[in-house]
Amino acid sequence: MSKTDDTELIERCIGGDRKALETLLVQYEKPVFNAAFRMLDSRDDAMDVTQTVFLKVFENFDHYDPSRRFFSWIYRITLNESINWLGKANRLQPLKQEAVDEGRSLEQEVDSANLSKDVQAALMAINSDYRTVIVLKHILGCSYSEIGEILEIPDKTVKSRLYSARQQLKDVLTQTGVH
Amino acid sequence: MAMDKKYLDLINADIDGEIGDSARAELQAFLAENAEGRALHQELASLCSTLDGVESIDPPPHLRHVIMKSTEAAKPRPESPGLLQKLFAIPALSHAVTFAAGVFLTLSLLNSGQISNRAFDDVTGLVGTVADPIDAKVFGAVAFDKPEVAGKVALRSSGAMLILDMDLVAMRPIEIEADYTDRSIWFNGFAQLESSGTKISAETGRIRLGMEGKRRFAVYLQNKGGRETTVKLRFIAGGTVVHEASLNFTPAQ
Repeated sequence: MSKTDDTELIERCIGGDRKALETLLVQYEKPVFNAAFRMLDSRDDAMDVTQTVFLKVFENFDHYDPSRRFFSWIYRITLNESINWLGKANRLQPLKQEAVDEGRSLEQEVDSANLSKDVQAALMAINSDYRTVIVLKHILGCSYSEIGEILEIPDKTVKSRLYSARQQLKDVLTQTGVH
Repeated sequence: MAMDKKYLDLINADIDGEIGDSARAELQAFLAENAEGRALHQELASLCSTLDGVESIDPPPHLRHVIMKSTEAAKPRPESPGLLQKLFAIPALSHAVTFAAGVFLTLSLLNSGQISNRAFDDVTGLVGTVADPIDAKVFGAVAFDKPEVAGKVALRSSGAMLILDMDLVAMRPIEIEADYTDRSIWFNGFAQLESSGTKISAETGRIRLGMEGKRRFAVYLQNKGGRETTVKLRFIAGGTVVHEASLNFTPAQ
């Protein structure tokens, strides 16, 4: 979606147009959910983060800087919320572990099979700064300049962080015999 | 020997499709002469291909509905928290109020003779919090993702209190029945976090709840004897049981 389209939608949202709100949600729900899921490795947590992200966006439209692209704003909120969530280290840990045993759905099983659990496990093994650039590049399909815009870092830093992230990921996958 | 950083950057840029014509020509000339460079290029290309091939997953079907519902209630953030919010930010007070709210509700129900088979009582406005029942030990938990209802239910224990900690979303109104086998256990209260509209009624051996949307709440059961019990949960939508689960409490030896 173009910057103009998003800006127009946001203006309508600020004016209380719920249809516009839903259009934004339809457009960004899936990438936001996927980014949160890859950052957190939990569907439940990704759902909570997705909901928080959209509520924050909807409540703070008046703080949105139209000179920036909307996706960079919402993706930045998504990654920050995911990292905050990770910071609440023991929040749901006992529940999560037991829930996997007793309540894992078929859908979750299929997801794991599709992704290759090893790759997701490797993602979880690298630090969150590196995981963030991998998610932006390979899950959300952002370019170097878009990643720089979202993280507010120079392109040069994007490149070196991405390279280091891949190195770490490769090392982890090599240790597990995947790559 | 470590590879020149310039070529590492060019290899990554090439794989990411962010390389210009002259830089690509330079890289190709380098790779033609350098086996280590070719091996690294191949390894990284393979890794990136694996990462790019990670399948995108669909969010749960009810999530959009839940978010739209939440935005109905969303209001602009106040400049500063109100007195009640500040008070609730203090964990000890938060717990105290939770307990008081539970006792208050129980007493209200007892006084008005509402512990019976009567219809749901609307507890909207009962201010409690389940923000931090973390001190309570988890004895069992279930997570599920059905089209009608999804989320987590944990059975916790703290002293003589059993706590059913529920974090759920439902696209349409659902009822939850929680049956507990030991009849000496009694309903002691209810608290919910940042939501309202949950309905609850209690009778001997059974709690019934009604909810819609995203809800986080706790049901408190008094288990003075620390007795072993099983809580059977039934989730009902439109008169049909859509999910069943059970949670066990076994006292420590």
